[in-house]
Amino acid sequence: MNFIKMILMAAALFTASSAYFQNDSFGQEGDDVKKEIQELKQMMEKMQQRITELEEKNRALEQQAKEKEVVKENVVVTEETEVIQAAPQPRQESFLSKVAQTLNPDISVIGIFAAAWYSRNDPFVFAEDDPQNTGVNLQELELGFQSIVDPYFRFDTFISLKTEGVEVEEAYGTSLFSMPLNTQFRMGRMRAKFGRINQIHTHAQNFVTLPIVAAEFLGQHLNPTSIEADFLIPVPWYMELSALGGSPDVETPTFATDEANANNLAYLLYVFHLANFFEVSDSLGINLGASFATGSNGTGPKERSNLYGADLYAKYRPLRQSAYTEFRLQSEFMWRQADTPEENLEDYGFYAEGVYRFAKRWNTGVRFDLTDTNTPVAGEDGGDEELLSADSADLVSTRAINPGETLGLPGRAYRISPMLTFSPSEFSQFRLEYDYLNQNYAGNQHAIFLQFQYAIGAHGAHSY
Amino acid sequence: MKRYTLLQCFTVFITFVLISIFFSSEDVSAKVQIVASLPDLGAIAQEIGGDKVDVMSLAKGYQDPHFVDAKPTYVTKLNKADLLIYNGLDLEIGWLPPLITGSRNSKITSTDALGRLDASTYIPQVLEVPTTQIDRSMGDIHPKGNPHYLLDPRNGIYVAGGITARLKEIDPENASYYEENYKKFADHLNQKIKEWDGELAPYKGAEIVSYHKNLEYLSDWAGFKEVGFIEPKPGIPPTPSHVAELIKKMKSMDVKLVIASNYYPQKTGSLVADQSGAVFLSIPTSVGGQDGINTYADLFDVIVGDITSALKNETGETNHSASKAGG
Repeated sequence: MNFIKMILMAAALFTASSAYFQNDSFGQEGDDVKKEIQELKQMMEKMQQRITELEEKNRALEQQAKEKEVVKENVVVTEETEVIQAAPQPRQESFLSKVAQTLNPDISVIGIFAAAWYSRNDPFVFAEDDPQNTGVNLQELELGFQSIVDPYFRFDTFISLKTEGVEVEEAYGTSLFSMPLNTQFRMGRMRAKFGRINQIHTHAQNFVTLPIVAAEFLGQHLNPTSIEADFLIPVPWYMELSALGGSPDVETPTFATDEANANNLAYLLYVFHLANFFEVSDSLGINLGASFATGSNGTGPKERSNLYGADLYAKYRPLRQSAYTEFRLQSEFMWRQADTPEENLEDYGFYAEGVYRFAKRWNTGVRFDLTDTNTPVAGEDGGDEELLSADSADLVSTRAINPGETLGLPGRAYRISPMLTFSPSEFSQFRLEYDYLNQNYAGNQHAIFLQFQYAIGAHGAHSY
Repeated sequence: MKRYTLLQCFTVFITFVLISIFFSSEDVSAKVQIVASLPDLGAIAQEIGGDKVDVMSLAKGYQDPHFVDAKPTYVTKLNKADLLIYNGLDLEIGWLPPLITGSRNSKITSTDALGRLDASTYIPQVLEVPTTQIDRSMGDIHPKGNPHYLLDPRNGIYVAGGITARLKEIDPENASYYEENYKKFADHLNQKIKEWDGELAPYKGAEIVSYHKNLEYLSDWAGFKEVGFIEPKPGIPPTPSHVAELIKKMKSMDVKLVIASNYYPQKTGSLVADQSGAVFLSIPTSVGGQDGINTYADLFDVIVGDITSALKNETGETNHSASKAGG
């Protein structure tokens, strides 16, 4: 009713003002204006009357509806058989739910920013989404568009905006229908099912910075344009086998297109993942996974990288004791073999993190991170510099290490990161983190971050 | 170092596929496989389906149904489901959709599928449907209205009617069996409702304070007046200033009862009750929320019993509680 009132008022004001301005003879102004006002007054009185009438009518209707409701209830209580015949009641939909009843996809925007301080003038930064400099950084602005396509598919798109540019982080269709062997297909560009952290968007991660091993081996994330088949294996626990084949079209430190064999099926990127979930008790669930990825690495014709991964995720949530307390343990190990024209390279890395949620809105945790890449590779003009990430190329240049002397990734790096997170609601979050980085080839670095993130719109729920 | 050829990769892969074929010789059971998102819906479905159905509930009765973990094991349950029954009104929006997507089960993936039943479509009236512009500054409110309708036992009968109708469609051979069970269920519950109505009658109009906006339907049925909430806004934990305000308000209104679902934090509730001279009551709000609650009727036996005895004591011992508040 307020809405109608407002419109009527606006209309009245508009009429009044236009009448006022049309009256260009100033001499008659007083009388004319008085007359106009008189007329307007009458008009508004009429309108007021009409509104009251409408309001009363509405009230009467509501009353009627309520009475009907009461009658219905009585019917249920006295004569139960009525209920079964009663078809689902078409409910009075509110104005808002009618507005929501459009076929637009769910749209969400998540902004992640971080105020950062680095102890070094030329900070070591491993991943693209990590805060790049001392100051305030835009880590990522994620746009999500998600919807069911038709009875057979749903489609999820995530566009990642950064200071440096735009990335189609994910855009894939998922099949929704039953198929033999409990198969599900995903087609498009998606974060491959390699380990755990590769499937988690930046805003859902537990720490401000990405684990070094994910940054250096997966290149922030492995998201080839590809086709993936996921099989639910009928064993007594949950077991899913995923097989993905696609183009290594997003260059990563481990995989890149082999220009000479770009059209050879054997040198595309293939990723396999086996996920197991054990519900040990109502409170404790354990995920164990194994991953394998193989594909060309772009250092020369028919040169291939193999990446092996093992992942563990355990969540302890004693619901009977407390509604929100939980403890999560997450760890991943990756081992890489890469052929280069000069030599074969082997290296590994892992991270382990524990997060304790001690109140509905608070959690704290610590992560330990390590990569060890000591395998000697002849540097020279070989392809290994390409193979090794842009980051390590940066490392080589910024640390004034002679490329001829550098062998593989330059040594062992470890990092310890404690953090504290406060989420005022499910849609906003503040995170304080300290990173201590030690590299046996380049010394230490201290960093402090204050991350803040906001989410608006409808963002799809996350899996376990 | 030996290179892995594609052939080897595919060998491993084919092995797994063969293993899965080997294991997939499923036991073909004739029973209708029902998965319910909430234990109340599961309990009702069990009473209607009897021994012709297998029922599995995802959320636990002692758990906040807004925040359930989307455990992968639930995917395997949904994969085999003939019928998924869920509460609707976006109560499960934070955890059920990814499970349905992962289920690979055409019987339940479409919103209008025969094997998918949104129980909220069977209840006659949804309370608190927003009629004005809403946004998240108002807390975690449900745009489609308050979803905790199962706390009005009359709605249980409506939902049971819906489940019966659907079961008759899915399994027409046993239609008369389901019909019979429904009649038994509705008769029993109607009988019970009369009893509970009688027990609650003296306390009609009692003013109560609850933790979260999840007791609206219970209050609507029992005739309680909810005059305040321990949460300042839905989903936002209590702040000291809000609690102080609430205590003041309760004292001035002489509110006698503070109720919270037993899965919510209990500390603030009992503090508020102590400070304002009221009684704090932690109640189970779902089947399985407390040992011994195995059916939908059990749940209200406990809720009505707990509330009436608390109110009886409170009104009978006003002096006692007043002195308690003073100390």
